[in-house]
Amino acid sequence: MPLPRPRKQAGDPNVAALLTWFLPGGGHFYLGRMRTGLVGFVVVWGLYWLGLELSDGMGFEFLNKELRGPFAPALAPELGNLSGLLWQSRTYGFGLGFPRVFPESVHLGVMCTACSGILNIFLMIKAHADARHLEEPVLGQLPLSLACFFAWVVPGGGHYLQGRRKRGLIVFILLTGIFVLGTWLSEGSNLDRQRHFYYWGGQLMGGMPVIGLEQFFGQPVVSHEIKYAEAGLALASLAGLLNILAILDVYGWGERSALRAMSGDPLPASSSTIPEVKA
Amino acid sequence: MSDLLVHLGLLLVISVAIVTLGVFFSYPDDEEAFKRLPRRLGVFLLGCATVVAIMTLIGYTTASLG
Repeated sequence: MPLPRPRKQAGDPNVAALLTWFLPGGGHFYLGRMRTGLVGFVVVWGLYWLGLELSDGMGFEFLNKELRGPFAPALAPELGNLSGLLWQSRTYGFGLGFPRVFPESVHLGVMCTACSGILNIFLMIKAHADARHLEEPVLGQLPLSLACFFAWVVPGGGHYLQGRRKRGLIVFILLTGIFVLGTWLSEGSNLDRQRHFYYWGGQLMGGMPVIGLEQFFGQPVVSHEIKYAEAGLALASLAGLLNILAILDVYGWGERSALRAMSGDPLPASSSTIPEVKA
Repeated sequence: MSDLLVHLGLLLVISVAIVTLGVFFSYPDDEEAFKRLPRRLGVFLLGCATVVAIMTLIGYTTASLG
């Protein structure tokens, strides 16, 4: 198959990514990819809307009163979907000023809003890559955004799909193992956003193992002192945060690989030099 | 098992994860990454030990409650 020649950028990649941050799908509308933009908007904003419905918009009421402030929610995963975060802050904020009973589906709801924020980050990656033509099927590469998405869904999954199986397996064993160890030490008390609002956000970067375990063992009733609760919580959260580094590794390798394919360079993607591709 | 041993064990586990992810990010080539791992882990643990030593010293001197 003939290698594609480097093409002019479809638009400014940074503008495309920023527009997607402001409005899911916005970057693709800017690039003229209406269908992708529309699908992105419906999926990401639909998930946020579903989360707001399930939680009655009470997600930020999990925050203790002393932590509430204009920028307090900005450290939550919802930040990935800026328009959603702003909408929730403006419409629901921190509630009515007095304690209310949370709906039964509140935990599922906040999971949806948080996942919407994370999904939009991968849509931003896609917009940025699409502007640079890095996800063209003719390159024969696993699309960058998809590889990064799988790296989030299962730690090490992105490496595995890129053909770096040994590395993927090590990442999976390390990160999932540490998350499970942390959850065991804290007896599942880490799996509760209401209890640990910010740590929970870090932990969620661990993907499906975190989401799955929370669905089965989340929000346990704690009736005794858990000796290593804080150590377990820190470990589980660190495992999620370290997965961000793994996702960045997947992104870097995929980007180099795509750029090499575009320039027709036969060097393996493991070489650390990134070739210049002129527009 | 003593608390100190448990915490040292946990520190070792998370140190291995932090340093491994660090070398994976820095070195796309697996062989190069594994070659650098032991030295980086040593430096990381030495750095942690230095911080512990300084904090302990401060705890017994300027920040002593006694």
